[in-house]
Amino acid sequence: MIEINNVTKSYKANLALNGLNLKVGKGEIYALLGSNGAGKTTTINLLLGFLEPSSGEIFLNGSKPHVDRKVVSGNVAYIPENVSLYPYLSGVENLDYFCGIAGIHKSKQALKEILTGCGLQESFQDKKVSEYSKGMRQKVGIAIAYTKDAKVLLLDEPASGLDPSASNELTALLKKLASEGACILMASHDLFRVRETANRIGILKQGAIVEELDAADVTAGTLEEMYLQYMKN
Amino acid sequence: MIQILLNEWKGWSRTGQFRWLFVGLVGVLLLLSYFGVQDVRNRQALVDQSKREVREQWENMGPTNPHGAAHYGSYAFKPLNSLSALDEGVNLTAGSVLRLEGHVQNEVVHSAQSQSAFISYFGPLKASIVLQVIVPLFMIFLTYYAVKSEHEQGRVRLLMVQGITYPKLVFGKVLAIWILSLIILLVTLGSQIAIFGAGLEADFLLRSALIVLAYAVFYLIITSLTASFCAWASQGASSLTFMLAVWVVWLIFLPKLAGWYVEKQHPLPSREAFTSAMREDRSKGIDGHNPADEREQAFKDSVLMAYDVQHLDSLPINYDGLLMQADEEYGNKVWDKHFGSLFEVMQRQKTNLQLVGLINPYGSLRSLSMGISGTDQWSHLHFQKEAEAYRRVFIKELNDEHAYGGSKNGDWGWKAEQEFFNGIEDFHYTNPRYTQAARIYQQDWFNLILWLVIALMSLGVATKKRESKPL
Repeated sequence: MIEINNVTKSYKANLALNGLNLKVGKGEIYALLGSNGAGKTTTINLLLGFLEPSSGEIFLNGSKPHVDRKVVSGNVAYIPENVSLYPYLSGVENLDYFCGIAGIHKSKQALKEILTGCGLQESFQDKKVSEYSKGMRQKVGIAIAYTKDAKVLLLDEPASGLDPSASNELTALLKKLASEGACILMASHDLFRVRETANRIGILKQGAIVEELDAADVTAGTLEEMYLQYMKN
Repeated sequence: MIQILLNEWKGWSRTGQFRWLFVGLVGVLLLLSYFGVQDVRNRQALVDQSKREVREQWENMGPTNPHGAAHYGSYAFKPLNSLSALDEGVNLTAGSVLRLEGHVQNEVVHSAQSQSAFISYFGPLKASIVLQVIVPLFMIFLTYYAVKSEHEQGRVRLLMVQGITYPKLVFGKVLAIWILSLIILLVTLGSQIAIFGAGLEADFLLRSALIVLAYAVFYLIITSLTASFCAWASQGASSLTFMLAVWVVWLIFLPKLAGWYVEKQHPLPSREAFTSAMREDRSKGIDGHNPADEREQAFKDSVLMAYDVQHLDSLPINYDGLLMQADEEYGNKVWDKHFGSLFEVMQRQKTNLQLVGLINPYGSLRSLSMGISGTDQWSHLHFQKEAEAYRRVFIKELNDEHAYGGSKNGDWGWKAEQEFFNGIEDFHYTNPRYTQAARIYQQDWFNLILWLVIALMSLGVATKKRESKPL
């Protein structure tokens, strides 16, 4: 479902991606692990069609996202690191609005159930988002992505700001979606969360994958050691 | 689109600062409407009262020599158009009362500016000023924040992934702000109509509808241009700065520059030069070879010949009346010549200023606002021409009475009866209908429509371009 073939992306003199190759299939959770500036967000922006690769090819469900924007809107859900919502709307109103934009219309009760399922306390669902913590906004973002029932999920540091319990809930939710056939790519530098959630892990350094691992084959300790070693080099 | 629109309104209605600003703006407009209507009512009442008094004096003059009555004269009062409560136009400086008398064509006097130091310094605060200056500024800031906040808060990416196109998102916001401006406009105009209690005459309704249309087009130009600058500019503040700069150029620099250029291209004579040229033509003849004394001699000869007599004393009528009318008619020719060329220059100036609207839609809006409100230069000149036409009939009736009423040559003590004076009709003037003047404003309408097309195209191109690079 996601195919990245030898992609480079440069911003003037800076090379953000350098011959990146990546494939993520149906039912898979792939984690891109890398430090700041490794090219994780650039990869996600390329997949969202917001950037055009300098060279190489990117396919989402067989279509190039920067050429065919409908392949993104029709198949992709996205959770950014900082979910920006409308501060004057409540959580449930935000969810309703973003769903409405996607052409999804649900009753208020159904939306509330989704928010509850994503870990947002009922007592906060009708409060203005301006009163929310970062983690609470993140949960609304997850609910927006979940409601879209997308085939592809792109997550940029999705657990950022979430408490441990909410992070666990997110992991469970992502695994559930993958088991239902979703293709998930998450960018993170949270080693623990990545190992807990992903099937495969790619260590990204200077715009290229330097190591690819099966999460099941590696312990948290080994992953940390490998990661630190790559970062040091 | 509807969702975006409703979301914008929801956002405004839940933002305290906006609510206060909006309520304040509408409140000011309602107050200005109220005071504007009261002002028009008071001035109209004063005009009506003055007309009654002038007529009363005329009808109680008693037996008088007609020529004395011509010097006594009468007054033409310019009636106020209901929409002048919205836009004062040139009435501020042009005046509203014209003294009508024999021998001379006076100027319209009693302008608001001449009667109030405050107004002469700062101008009156009319609803049109708020609608033309403050509301567009409000729209500029609102559009800027509506578009830029989506970028700065990073919601654009999430919204686009959800399936909305960038042009649709921005156009939805433009539409929401534009409809808000229409609400402000309709509340203002509606309140004026409600306070006025004006009869729903077809012309008034047409003018009101056209006012709404002109302002609505202008507001759509402003919001579309601001949004397209926001979409073009990669840096938020630069688009706001640019649009504000455009606004200042439209509002202050271009009108002054255009006015200066048009005055230079088509100068109007100074008041002194104009009156002295009139005086000169009247005494020396329009062609310079037909002085007053020769004209008088020729006229005298023609009258004596017509009545087949040798001396004026032998005439069965009063020669003085005929002579005064002949002089009056010559004076009219002089007036027609000078005012004709003055009107021509004014018309050329107006045409040139209207053409400036091709680069300044604000100028076109102002011209249309005054024109539709019936307070522009054309309406003023129409009144002046009608008043002059009446003066000619009025003076001719008096001169004819002097000539044929029963007196003899040199009999200046002769008096006409009061009934004769009562039989002379007052000056009745109704403002011209909009359809009479519609063709004058075609250029302004064209400019606004052209700018609307430019603004919408710019919005379409800018948002399409930005969609491919939303980051």
